[in-house]
Amino acid sequence: MDRGQLIETMQEILGPEGVIHQREELRTYECDGLMNYRVIPDLVVLPESAEQVQQIVKTCYDEGIPFVARGSGTGLSGGALPVESGVLIVLTRLRRILEVDIPNGRVVVEPGVINVWVSQEVADEGYYYAPDPASQIVSSIGGNLAENSGGVHCLKYGFTTNHVMGAEIVLPDGSVVHIGGGKSPDVPGYELLGAFVGSEGTLGIATKITLRILRQPEDVRTLLAAFKDTEEAGGAVSGIIGGGIVPAAIEMMDALTIEAVEKQISPGFPEAGAILIVELDGPEAEVEHQFEHVIRVCEENEASAIRVAEDDEERALLWKGRQAAFGAMGSISKDYYVQDGVVPRTELGAVLKKIADLSEEYGLRVANVFHAGDGNLHPLVLYDNDTPGEADKAEELAGEIVFACLEHGGSLTGEHGIGRDKMKYMPKMFTSDDMDVMQLLRCAFDPHRICNPGKIFPTPRLCGERPGPFHMHPVQKAGLAENF
Amino acid sequence: MVERNGGRNGSGGEDRYSATNATERRDPEGTTGEEAMAGAIGAGSPEDIGQSTRAASDSIQQTIGADRAESGSYTFPAFDDHHPPEKDLIDDCVHCGFCLPTCPTYVLFGEEMDSPRGRIYLMNKGLTEEPMNDEMVRHWDLCLGCMACVTACPSGVQYDKLIEATRQQVERRYERRADDKAFREMIFQFFPYPNRLRAIAAPMRLYQRFGIGDKLRRAGIMQRIPSRMQAMEALLPDLPKEEKIPDLTGPVGERRRRVGVLTGCVQRVFFSPVNAATVRVLAAEGCEVVAPKQGCCGALSTHAGREEESLNFARKTIDTFEDLNLDNVVVNAAGCGSTMKEYGYLLRDDPDYAERAKAFSAKVRDVSEFLQELGPVAERNPLPVTAAYHDACHLAHAQGIRSQPRQTLKQIPGMEVKEIREAEVCCGSAGIYNMVEPEPAAELGERKANNILKTGAQVIVTSNPGCMLQIQSSLKKMGHGGLPMAHPMEVLDASLRGEPVETLLDK
Amino acid sequence: MQTQNVPTEELQGIVGEEHVREASAEDAVDGVEPSLVVEPGTIEETSEVMKLANREGLAVSPRGSGTKMGLGNPPKQVDLILSTTRMDKIIEHVPGDQIVRVQAGLRLQDLQENLAESDQMLGVDPPEEGATVGGMVAANSSGPRRLRYGTVRDLIIGIKVVLADGTVAKAGGKVVKNVAGYDLSKLFTGSLGTLGVIAEANFRLHPIRETARTVFLEVDDHAKIADAVQDLTHSSLSQFVLDALEMRWEGDRGVIAALFEGIEPAVEAQSSAATEVLRSHGESRVLGEDDGETFWEHFARRPWTTGDVGLKIGAPPSDLTAVLDSVVGAVERAGIEVRISGHAGTGVTFAGLSGGEDGLVEVVDEVREIRLRRGGSVVVQEAPLTIKERLDAWGSVGDYLGLTQRVKEKFDPEYTMNPGRFLGGI
Repeated sequence: MDRGQLIETMQEILGPEGVIHQREELRTYECDGLMNYRVIPDLVVLPESAEQVQQIVKTCYDEGIPFVARGSGTGLSGGALPVESGVLIVLTRLRRILEVDIPNGRVVVEPGVINVWVSQEVADEGYYYAPDPASQIVSSIGGNLAENSGGVHCLKYGFTTNHVMGAEIVLPDGSVVHIGGGKSPDVPGYELLGAFVGSEGTLGIATKITLRILRQPEDVRTLLAAFKDTEEAGGAVSGIIGGGIVPAAIEMMDALTIEAVEKQISPGFPEAGAILIVELDGPEAEVEHQFEHVIRVCEENEASAIRVAEDDEERALLWKGRQAAFGAMGSISKDYYVQDGVVPRTELGAVLKKIADLSEEYGLRVANVFHAGDGNLHPLVLYDNDTPGEADKAEELAGEIVFACLEHGGSLTGEHGIGRDKMKYMPKMFTSDDMDVMQLLRCAFDPHRICNPGKIFPTPRLCGERPGPFHMHPVQKAGLAENF
Repeated sequence: MVERNGGRNGSGGEDRYSATNATERRDPEGTTGEEAMAGAIGAGSPEDIGQSTRAASDSIQQTIGADRAESGSYTFPAFDDHHPPEKDLIDDCVHCGFCLPTCPTYVLFGEEMDSPRGRIYLMNKGLTEEPMNDEMVRHWDLCLGCMACVTACPSGVQYDKLIEATRQQVERRYERRADDKAFREMIFQFFPYPNRLRAIAAPMRLYQRFGIGDKLRRAGIMQRIPSRMQAMEALLPDLPKEEKIPDLTGPVGERRRRVGVLTGCVQRVFFSPVNAATVRVLAAEGCEVVAPKQGCCGALSTHAGREEESLNFARKTIDTFEDLNLDNVVVNAAGCGSTMKEYGYLLRDDPDYAERAKAFSAKVRDVSEFLQELGPVAERNPLPVTAAYHDACHLAHAQGIRSQPRQTLKQIPGMEVKEIREAEVCCGSAGIYNMVEPEPAAELGERKANNILKTGAQVIVTSNPGCMLQIQSSLKKMGHGGLPMAHPMEVLDASLRGEPVETLLDK
Repeated sequence: MQTQNVPTEELQGIVGEEHVREASAEDAVDGVEPSLVVEPGTIEETSEVMKLANREGLAVSPRGSGTKMGLGNPPKQVDLILSTTRMDKIIEHVPGDQIVRVQAGLRLQDLQENLAESDQMLGVDPPEEGATVGGMVAANSSGPRRLRYGTVRDLIIGIKVVLADGTVAKAGGKVVKNVAGYDLSKLFTGSLGTLGVIAEANFRLHPIRETARTVFLEVDDHAKIADAVQDLTHSSLSQFVLDALEMRWEGDRGVIAALFEGIEPAVEAQSSAATEVLRSHGESRVLGEDDGETFWEHFARRPWTTGDVGLKIGAPPSDLTAVLDSVVGAVERAGIEVRISGHAGTGVTFAGLSGGEDGLVEVVDEVREIRLRRGGSVVVQEAPLTIKERLDAWGSVGDYLGLTQRVKEKFDPEYTMNPGRFLGGI
């Protein structure tokens, strides 16, 4: 089928308003939230129903055309980067909330529904949807599903995968399956849903998603504490968590980030080497008690200032400063490269020091904002694209930071996903056997390799192959530290 | 800071307007995270941004579908050297997408090219690689210029400057389809010239008095008239008798300021009572009010990218007001005020006017802004009524004025002010937009009307004649044409004069 | 039953002579007797054993403490039992990070004892005594606290497996937040040893709660149970406050029990609030920490013993009354005795049936039919062999069977691992 015929076929399925094929318009889809990689898709289609998605995928399958699914296009790893000569399936028009089932604490939505709409829909009943990535005002549930998005509250409440109960999936061959049980727990079979969430759109397209909603907590308290430096702040974090408290959120920002945020948003953050924003929620008695403990720990760690939010407005302002941190970087630097490494919390201090050393070595500033509770760092390497060579240096520095995370027992990515961006680092974290075995899963779902190919795994595995005989990776054999 | 009850379902709303921060609305139902997120993009509450749970809209036809107005015009490179959209400003965009949920066209159509992020992307491509052609222009034309994106952007991208520069380029370098061109020319032959508007107003009054529009509709003839003419026809307001305002009005009591007022074009022809009320209110608050003979401020032309025309209007306006010894120039139309505050930037290249324009712009105030700055002195009589306040885009987004009009209303005893959901999303008026792009404008108008009706308010208050026309027309289409609308000054005027609530409700 | 010529000597060469023994009747899996029991001591040995088995076309059943060998359908073939009990170490416990890495053969209770020294615990509390961590993961075991902490799939953060052909692979890591690569930890959870041998697993831990209160209410009408449960779950005492919400029903009496764990003032307040919420249904009783512990030891037990048929019914929580109705109705008609327990807060109900064989089969069929219409599942978790030959353990499967089979075929193309025990004949 040539391009003209493909366009016609798609227009028959979707109507002319569902197919974008003009060059300039295609170009607006050539990247998602990560601008470093761009590929012009052959065709962009915007289905309005699950049936249309199925028809599109079936057509691609029959014709051997690769496709990539995209939500709001705010991903930070290039997961929605189109594939050359492929179709980009944009799910933004599947945006209905299909069912609200308060007695079972479930909501069924289409993938284009924006994260924050779910909570709004059930707010009147006193419920909310817990996963709250910083992009929640614009990112879609489908996208959250693909990346297993986290957010500032995921230490206590978990990630998207802990809140997705079921999904209707269009498999790459165009067939439809329902995995996960939806409203019923413990459905017999493999945890296909658990494997699907976080698979970055490489196993199929979810067209209906059952989400779990929670009752809003009785009490919420938030405070901001300022410290001399990240080390002291880190000490406070350990003290809080070591005291047996699981805060609803605990975020850290360093001096550079504070500067940018104050410039752009002016939430009134104090000048400090590092600040912590801690939030506790739950039953009133518990929150009260825990809050006292938190304040005590902050004081013990020489907090230079402690500010408790008196009301919702102040609390919202504190969080505004945190949520807009990435965007605010634009005010102190022309360009920035954000990473998403994870380290065990006990290694935070050491890794932050390493980052500071690297920053000096490379002569580029690195701002740090991160989820202190679960060790998920977002180092922002600041650079100027117009200075020759700086972009490459920035990328190299970012890579070094990632290696540092791995060396200390962490992970390549906590919430942004591997996508295209971190593919090259995968061999640093996994052996080729590890990746081969993961790709067995991919072969089961997508034997023809048309579903978002070229993402996650640097070396694609042909699905006809059997796994090879067991062999120990030379690094393991040599007894060198394994990145587990 | 106000102390609130613990928990998220506490009652609230009483002191919503006491803070002076322009973006401080609160919704007791949102979670902390959402409130922060909403705040991060400038919305006061998660409820203020677009929430679409409807399937894609019908007006999509004209953006990607078969109905778009193509002329085949092709110019390469897309932009010339005279004020192209600035690369530096474009580079501020980090592609984060936070603007998408507040952009009315994205909320309607759900595709990238009709979002600020996408439009900036097209501008960027136009600077380097792509030509100016039907596709590019289509999406820039569909932009309402509401600037909700400017409020939302965490990186501070000045989209307003970008779209204005782009529109100027389009006017110069894109050859519109003949009927499109003719229609736009017609608009600009009438709307910036009050006398011409008035000239067609008289026949329009007769048209309305004899219900000709309805007869045409019932006869089915209306459907055969091109949609844009239909749109214009539907916008025609119910015309009141003209209220004239004197050249000079003395203050009541001690003179606190000497101000000039802009009487506007659509405002003075179709909403002259608003001007009269404005002058009375200003006088009551101790102002000497000068209303010179004046022309158009050029807002419509500026927003449409008609560069030379807009600069001429700007110069004439400055000429009109600058030698009158005024402390301030007070404007009661959001769109006009916003442009007049920009004169310094617009006339930056003109050596004769650059400094004068800057000085002039520094004096411009929106009337609510001005009154709050001055501080109220006149006694307000009670007006026990529920009002829904609609934020005009050029007041809220362009000028950042949200709390002052609300404060003005709240200072009237007995007044209850309701918030409208999806407040950040434009009503669809957007200058001439509801005439040149009637389908998306109608959808947005309907959306806004529905949100307004949900408040259960008795009267709708807004500071822009364009919004008034649009919302009135949308309500009428839905069978609620009787819902009264008023300008904040008309409300305040009624209160100052001790008028009963019926004055507002019988409008 | 010797089905294949098993290369005993070669196996002894891999794990050592003393760790290979002939199987006895006790090692039979649903009546299928294997030839040998092999006990590797390391992952490398495990891998070598699997390679050998795969090469020789043997069928392998991994086993920990063997508490759940009766799950699933009788296997088509079992040649080797691969015991994990020698691999029972805690590899790494980092209290400051709240994670632990263990070998699969470690018993859960030993792990919990060890973690308790740092005031931490793994949030899984299945009733099977003596179970290993590996078995817990393979069977997705859970207990009452799943309401608060989730099930195994919500707590497992990394895994290391040995596939049928000996390939060793890991996924996840030792940090709670990790989206690198596919989540194989979840895929293997509940896979019942059919995808590979689970050799190591990493988990996220929680702090041990200071104290506890148990609130329970006796009812004489099973319809009241669902109402009371709904009242609690939709009050402010719902998820993340309630640690467990369970029910039991036997004869004509039932009990609903709620568990609150936390600091003293909090659990005090919560138990009072719960008592209030339940007031319209009756007068509840409140137990302190120690009495509560004793209470739960009995309350959380499965309602069946050997010889019974034990069903696990999954249904939407709001459907609890319908579930109880269907079971109670069916057993009455078939003249069967039933004891019921369940995780009322999450929609899992257990029914222990005893009586004549025909009646038992009838009941299961009937309950399954109702569930088919109303959504959910009915799995036979315990049954005498004669019944197992008449009833499929899993019941009907949704439209994901084909996908399930494809996954199995990729991971274990030769059907070495536990053939025939899983659904769809896998």
